[in-house]
Amino acid sequence: MKEERENIDLLLERNADEQLSKVDWQRLNAAISSRLDKASRSKTVATKFPTVFKIAAGVAAAAAVILIVMIIRTDRAPDFQLENGRRAVVKFIEAKGSASVEIGHAPAKSQVMVDVGPSQSKLARCDIEIIDANGDLKQKANRATWIIISRPEPVYADNGVSRDSMDMICLF
Amino acid sequence: MGDSRKANSGDMERLVKASQAGHREAFDELVRLYQQRAMQVAVRILGEANEAAEAVQTGFVRAYLSIGKLKEPKRFEFWLLRIVANAAISQVRAAKRRAEKVRIADHYKDKKTPSPVERQRAEELKEAITRAMLKLSKREAKAISLSGLEDLSQGEVAEIMGCSVGAVKWHVFNARKKLKVLLKEYLE
Repeated sequence: MKEERENIDLLLERNADEQLSKVDWQRLNAAISSRLDKASRSKTVATKFPTVFKIAAGVAAAAAVILIVMIIRTDRAPDFQLENGRRAVVKFIEAKGSASVEIGHAPAKSQVMVDVGPSQSKLARCDIEIIDANGDLKQKANRATWIIISRPEPVYADNGVSRDSMDMICLF
Repeated sequence: MGDSRKANSGDMERLVKASQAGHREAFDELVRLYQQRAMQVAVRILGEANEAAEAVQTGFVRAYLSIGKLKEPKRFEFWLLRIVANAAISQVRAAKRRAEKVRIADHYKDKKTPSPVERQRAEELKEAITRAMLKLSKREAKAISLSGLEDLSQGEVAEIMGCSVGAVKWHVFNARKKLKVLLKEYLE
């Protein structure tokens, strides 16, 4: 076992020695030096113009924040008044045609009325999930079974909440 | 073989501090002092001088760019070897792809050439080791390569690898076990 171990080590060493014996050290040194020169120049530019880099980073960060805010605002669900005076937040998940309803206190039954304009011709049904605003998600009873949406456009077309409004009846 | 001067601790610390202060000449001196050491590590991981030279260059550039972050100048050697070992490991996969496409010109080799038979045997061994190292995990490759370096204790290898001595021993054991199978036709 020990002999095998030594043999492997010797083999690796033999190859390393063989390879190292062929190295032109001056050439390698020159190559490293050249790479360091390039790195040095990049480093100098960054050091010389820190303000420019800071401004660029600031602009990029601000743009990112604006973008995030826009996305959040676009996705933000509208508040709806429940018939018992409580409020609900409804989020439509476009891809699945489902919705999440967020309310302070889940009633046994509730109806959400939304102004959809003059024409109402379509009915849709999709699953929804109630998210208790107080964070109490333990009770499975809070899960709704279905929702009816009345809207003037095809059901699964574009139901982005930012532009469409609709009638809904939620049964809990 | 290269610049075999070994910096004493005081010299090294002085050079590292000067490099940290932005003195390029000081870093150039560190390169001269440690390029051979760095090559020893890279060659053992990559099995081949040209690829090792590439990894060493990358390692020195990374070290140069981040030397300001080195808290303890006296640990420079281990810190540098860790960077070089990581650069070599990253290059292992890329080296394999490149080797399949083109034969790399002997850019860093000098004119000395052994006999054709010796050269062929050495070439075969080099390729076999390069292939075998690809079969090891990163940690195994690092451990077996660093452990093979003279005057580097297992404790120092552990420091370079950022793990315990026990882990180093374990990786070396596994690496030897795999290499024994992979290189069996070259073992006498």
